[in-house]
Amino acid sequence: MQKGFVAYNNEQKSLEAETEGIKNSQTLIQKAMNWFSARSMFVVAYGTGCGAIEMPPVFTSRYDIERLGVVGVATPRQADIMIVSGYCSLKTLRRVIRTYEQMSEPKYVIALGSCTINGGMYWDSYNTIKKLEEYIGVDMYVAGCMPRPEALIEGFVKLQESIRNNTIQPGYIKYREDYAYYQANQEKLLGKEIQPVYEEDYAGMNLS
Amino acid sequence: MFVDLLIMLVMAYGFGFLYYGLYRNISARVHGRFGPSLAQSFYDSIKLFTKNTSTDFGWMFFAGPIIMASGAIMTVLFIPYFNHGERLIGLSPYGNLIVVLYFMVLGPLGNALGVGSHGNPFGAMGITRGLTRLLGLEMPFYIAVVGLMIANESADISTIMANQAETYNIIAHPLLFIAAFISFLGFLGKSPFDVVGAPQEVYSGPAVEFGGKFLALALSQSAIFSFAKLLLMVNLFLGGADSLWDLILKTFVLFVASVFVGNVYGRFTTAQSVDFLLKVPTVIAIVGLLFV
Amino acid sequence: MKNLQKTYEVTQKAERLFEVTIPQTQFWEAMIHISTQTEFNTLSQIACTDWIEEEHFLLIYILTNDARDKNLMLKVTLGREYESMPSAITLFPQAEVMERDLHEMYGIGFEGNDTLYDFVLEQWNDLPPLRREFDTLAFVHEHFAFKGGREDNKDVKVEQKRRREEAKKQKALEAEKEEAEKPKEPETDTEETQDKKPDTKEAEDGQ
Repeated sequence: MQKGFVAYNNEQKSLEAETEGIKNSQTLIQKAMNWFSARSMFVVAYGTGCGAIEMPPVFTSRYDIERLGVVGVATPRQADIMIVSGYCSLKTLRRVIRTYEQMSEPKYVIALGSCTINGGMYWDSYNTIKKLEEYIGVDMYVAGCMPRPEALIEGFVKLQESIRNNTIQPGYIKYREDYAYYQANQEKLLGKEIQPVYEEDYAGMNLS
Repeated sequence: MFVDLLIMLVMAYGFGFLYYGLYRNISARVHGRFGPSLAQSFYDSIKLFTKNTSTDFGWMFFAGPIIMASGAIMTVLFIPYFNHGERLIGLSPYGNLIVVLYFMVLGPLGNALGVGSHGNPFGAMGITRGLTRLLGLEMPFYIAVVGLMIANESADISTIMANQAETYNIIAHPLLFIAAFISFLGFLGKSPFDVVGAPQEVYSGPAVEFGGKFLALALSQSAIFSFAKLLLMVNLFLGGADSLWDLILKTFVLFVASVFVGNVYGRFTTAQSVDFLLKVPTVIAIVGLLFV
Repeated sequence: MKNLQKTYEVTQKAERLFEVTIPQTQFWEAMIHISTQTEFNTLSQIACTDWIEEEHFLLIYILTNDARDKNLMLKVTLGREYESMPSAITLFPQAEVMERDLHEMYGIGFEGNDTLYDFVLEQWNDLPPLRREFDTLAFVHEHFAFKGGREDNKDVKVEQKRRREEAKKQKALEAEKEEAEKPKEPETDTEETQDKKPDTKEAEDGQ
């Protein structure tokens, strides 16, 4: 191996955080269920922002992720994983929350890009949210602006490992148990009616 | 008897999913990439069974996939697996080809009932497409089957298989085979007739509100159903199977042929499918009838 | 073009860009005249600039011609206190969306346009955000909270260098400890080891 390659590896390792967590105990049935959940994942790829451009290469021939068992589906009802790719404006956040609540458990969220972590490039915008984890339960962040497809694949692999070894508390359990916290955040930002309102006189439009 | 039925069902389930995994792998190689492992469809359906239910649309929503699954299972049980008439013949002494053709329609019908209960417009769009396409698919297939029934003077599948001892029907009635193969592509859900579950257009049409266990049941019935249709084609045109290896070989050859055709073509719209199916294969089937 | 230059004072800003400034009272007659009598017969965009120092909005209607190779900017000023203009829908149907956008972002009313409701911002009940008196940073700090941990915010290369030097120091310390704890060697080998040692030390310094 060339010297440069070894040096990059060591430096990179010194800067990366520890990603191996404590393996919690699981019963045999839970182990089996987790193994199957990790082995076959259905993804609804919600392209909220600029990150949506990094998902098609991952799902098609170039960086084929179907060999890991991950396949894209059309509706959130059929999906296990939602990829929130990029910034969420307030208008989008209402739909993201609605989509997240339509998925059936066990469900996971992968947040792509820096905008979901701490605001990213749009940190000083009046219309985007800064931390996605205040509104829905997030399981895996993939940092970057935009992360390369290899980074997204590594995110998937780490998520699969953590599901199989039960090292993290999944976001949906946090969402279910701490729902008061999430609901308070959502209402403070978005108002009482989070779903888009279709029946009444919405924002001055006469829909009847 | 019951052991036989159980073995037939398990074989249909196993082979159906194995062939679906093969389809994904062959498609992947055509696209220039590696596909998932061969058992991936098994993992998918088992994982789907472990998910919670999050919808409440009434009892008809549960009944929909159950009707679909019962249609698929009954179709499989009425088709004999081997042509020597001793083992794994299922319920075929009690029902003939016409019963099988009736059961084949039960799938989309059950789907339609389930979709009506949740009222999602995409589901309704998918179901209208499905039932319209079924109109087109049935014509050439039924004409070909009627031609075979006339040629063999019987509607019993075992008789049709026994009469192919010298020449297979694919050589004796080639035009009927071509017509039946074209609509068989649509029954399996392959391009160019796969407009029903188009993921990007109608958000997978009839399966739009199916989560967890419903989707698992729908996928399982789809696997069993496709194996049943493969078996029917093999019995009607390729002389049935003598032994297990013969069965695997013949269904595999037919399956690979349909996969190759499916990978090459794009998708017809519903109107185009019905238009095409009511013209070209129907005419071929009618001309084939004249030679019977 | 010559038709235009007879009646109005047209300045050329760039190779294909022309500009006419019109006071608000004569604006609509000018618009109708220009869009029907000259080559600039279609609306490309309505832009707005907030001149808070001079206390007016500057609305710019960008018209373009059939061959799409010349643009004409019609500039008109409007007061900042939520005044309204007649809508351009009767002349150009595409103005409906542009005016809806301007109404949402600046608060300018357009009489005759029925679609002045929520466009990009849903259920927004604050100031129209593109006005310059709207303080974006204050709004963001009031409504959103950021994560901690970026207060030190070091440069990556600096941090790498610091870590490398610390690792080196640590290694040197451990090497010293090992030497101090090494047991004394037998006398017969001292000459050979003494000959060897300086060579290796030189090699280390050389690196």
